[in-house]
Amino acid sequence: MRTLAALSLVGLIGAAGALAQDAPIRLENPWVRRAPVMPDSGPGTESRAAGYVTIVNRGAARDALVSAAADVAERVELHETRNMSGMLMMEGVSRVAVERGARVELKPGSYHLMLIRLKRPLTPGQSVTLTLQFERAGPITTRAGVR
Amino acid sequence: MSTGERAYVRAGRLVVLIALVVYGAGAVERAAVDAGSPPSAGFRAGAFDPPRGAPDFALPATSGGEFRLSRRLGKVVALAFGYTSCPDVCPTVLAELSQVRARLGASAKRVQVVYVSVDPERDSPARLRAYVEQFDKTFLGLTGSMDQLAPVWKAYGVAVARKDVPGSTPPIYVIHHSASVFLVDTIGRLRVMAPFGTPVDDLLHDVRILLKE
Repeated sequence: MRTLAALSLVGLIGAAGALAQDAPIRLENPWVRRAPVMPDSGPGTESRAAGYVTIVNRGAARDALVSAAADVAERVELHETRNMSGMLMMEGVSRVAVERGARVELKPGSYHLMLIRLKRPLTPGQSVTLTLQFERAGPITTRAGVR
Repeated sequence: MSTGERAYVRAGRLVVLIALVVYGAGAVERAAVDAGSPPSAGFRAGAFDPPRGAPDFALPATSGGEFRLSRRLGKVVALAFGYTSCPDVCPTVLAELSQVRARLGASAKRVQVVYVSVDPERDSPARLRAYVEQFDKTFLGLTGSMDQLAPVWKAYGVAVARKDVPGSTPPIYVIHHSASVFLVDTIGRLRVMAPFGTPVDDLLHDVRILLKE
């Protein structure tokens, strides 16, 4: 009986491992930058914070991040910062493509999630829930620590 | 285009040129390193060689009162530019500067981080203070009117361009700006310009050189 239980436990772990391995999209190292809630001073000044994550596509087809949501923000936009000879420019993007077999890093000074109208200040040590919506893989939820 | 926007574009055009010149100086310095002739001080980021006097300025500080650069002699000043509605680049620079101070230990008290707003219209002292102090309580934010801030951007070759976000209602703008960190030595000379993306280790290395002088 004990052997059977142990065996089925091994089986379960194996199945969970296989599931994780089979998931076409894997999210690594998600984190969100700290942000205070500041007094509003007009359009575009609602409190916001950047979120970062590495997306690994181990599936058989290309995929794309098309939208995102966070429990601590009213809405989330996909943004890209570009460095043009030292001039830093930030623009909204409609999607972030992740080719088959590729890793795409959302990181400072590059692609990032912009969490808009925060419900509370974000301080280091807390964590937030991010849900990333992929074109093929659908929604994937992860917990991101605040740094 | 609004008056404010025109002022930004004007200031932006003027300073882009200066920024290019300053960047050019950094590139020459790095090229010298590559060629095997190390600059006198051995900085890892772009060095001003020879050093030149840091342009002096006075601006209202978030801590109250006025900040005047030339009164900070004896301290290494790390000077950076940004705005509070900027979630990616600006907090990254501030977080890196807070890491530098944290890793300096006791000598951190001889390093003053000064953060100058590039968004006078929206960066109230209260907002800027909350923004910079979340990283380090000693950080000073400086904001003021366009007339007060634009000459400082210009003096440091900081390009600032206001850009409307297409389709936003009510209209929202973002500010494209250069995000280099300038290091001013303890006798008021401009020594280093670290472009955005300079590793924290390199910034720390260069600050340590200035503290030892």
